[in-house]
Amino acid sequence: MLEIKNLHATVDGKEILKGLTLSVGAGEVHAIMGPNGSGKSTLSYVLAGRAGYEVTGGSIIYKGEDLTAMSPDQRAAKGVFLAMQYPVEIPGVTTLTFLKTALNAQRRARGEKDVDAVGVLRLVREKAKALNVPEEMLKRALNVGFSGGEKKRLEILQMALFQPALAILDETDSGLDIDALKLVAEGVNALRAPDRAMLVITHYQRLLNYIVPDRVHVLAKGRIVAEGGKELALKLEAQGYEQIIKDAA
Amino acid sequence: MNALPNRRVEDWKYSDLRNAIDAEVVASAPTAAWAIASSAGAVDIADLPAIMPRGEHGAMAETAIASAKAGPSVRLGKNERGAAHLHLTEGGHGRALIVVEDGASLALQETVLAGSFANVAVEIVVGRNARLTHVRHAPRNDAVQVIDYSVRVAEGGVYRAHFADFGGKLSRTELHIALDGEGAQTHLSGVGPLNDRHADVTTHVTHASGKTQSTQLFKYVAGGTARGVYQGKVTVAAGANGSDSRQTAKGLLLADSAEIDLKPELEILADDVKCAHGAAVGDLDAESLFYLRSRGIPENEARALLMRAFIGDAVDEIEDEAVRASIWQAVDAALEGLL
Repeated sequence: MLEIKNLHATVDGKEILKGLTLSVGAGEVHAIMGPNGSGKSTLSYVLAGRAGYEVTGGSIIYKGEDLTAMSPDQRAAKGVFLAMQYPVEIPGVTTLTFLKTALNAQRRARGEKDVDAVGVLRLVREKAKALNVPEEMLKRALNVGFSGGEKKRLEILQMALFQPALAILDETDSGLDIDALKLVAEGVNALRAPDRAMLVITHYQRLLNYIVPDRVHVLAKGRIVAEGGKELALKLEAQGYEQIIKDAA
Repeated sequence: MNALPNRRVEDWKYSDLRNAIDAEVVASAPTAAWAIASSAGAVDIADLPAIMPRGEHGAMAETAIASAKAGPSVRLGKNERGAAHLHLTEGGHGRALIVVEDGASLALQETVLAGSFANVAVEIVVGRNARLTHVRHAPRNDAVQVIDYSVRVAEGGVYRAHFADFGGKLSRTELHIALDGEGAQTHLSGVGPLNDRHADVTTHVTHASGKTQSTQLFKYVAGGTARGVYQGKVTVAAGANGSDSRQTAKGLLLADSAEIDLKPELEILADDVKCAHGAAVGDLDAESLFYLRSRGIPENEARALLMRAFIGDAVDEIEDEAVRASIWQAVDAALEGLL
């Protein structure tokens, strides 16, 4: 599904990713763990195609295609979804209008027919119910005045609505209390599927108690320095990043 | 005739009329022509009366008043309901009178179809507990236009107006509004989606009596070599206690070659008043743009969505659903031209 080879990327001319290699197969959930400043968020933005995050070397192949050649919206239409750490507030655009516009833009790019307003509402309601997103939230401006938990829930609602093939979750646990965390994790787990891959990016092991990964990768200074099964996350929690990074060196 | 207002005159700093048009053209311009596109209810339409009310006006209105030989008078009698749609069909110097008598309610629409030059002075009188809702639509053109409204609102009266100005070679809208009786209100809004054109709204609202209210919300989106101007002065007279005034003007600058000038101003001579103003000019937010695109929305569609969101609250100030929809249509078309 996703093959990243020797990836180098810069932000504002500064190299952040320094030869990152990673492979994620369909149906798998991989966790990327790393200390602050290791390049976790840079990786997620590079995968989503944010301007200013420049790939200077290596390759990202997604479903056999060069991902770096695609615009952010093309990536989304092809099934790449990034649940953001800090979802943006957009006054003047209601949440439901946004969801409808995005869903139909993706469908149009794939040559599929638009879903009409009633159809979108039905789809959104169904997903919203499972994630405990009240209807009233959908009528408000996108993310404006939403609590941290509400914003994250809406990210997962989008994931459920768009049904991406590759979901990247960037620090989805940050700012969540334990109840919200469980709810979000349930939402994510419900989307685990044989034809879907997930990349869960997190600083803390906590989230991985609820979203259990198939593989864990440790990111430090722009490279993957250690890899293992889900037990690696527990080891990290017990020993701290410093020890693991030192052992790997 | 005196020299035309130019950028050395403070009020006209951002709208240099002398530079935009030949003084000879102004001096020799004919009387403007109007048409009544439609009217409903007990609206009485006639020629201007011999004796006209005169409120505060700007410099160019003097010329319009001196030069215009005729014009329409739209009057709605006490406690009546009505609607009227005015077209300015031919340019030149123009005058008009709008009177809404006590307790009456008039919906006024105005569309500008003028030629290359128009200079119009309009007197508006809103009676006690009367209500005038006014929407002016000036489609994008290449003309030089100055329109100057003098509005007097009596006790308990409401003047609610929206100005959708898509710009011209030079387009200047002046509003001189006197809230003359206790509880009088004015609510002004406007949008200027401008592509290589100029639009200027200059307002002066005077809270002459107590417990008067004014709100203003103006939004510009400027691309290419466009220039959007908002100059808003609010005066709260001595003794006009309990008055409430809010002014907001915002601009979205899409190109380095475009310019937006926002100048809210307050003059408070009374105690116990609530006044607030804000002005800001910015660019489309890169983070918002990326967020929308990461959800599959193509760049142009995302930009249009953000521009629409920016301008939306000002358009939504228009209460009449059909009129609002028609302005939205024009705004959407203009925003598409700005992509």
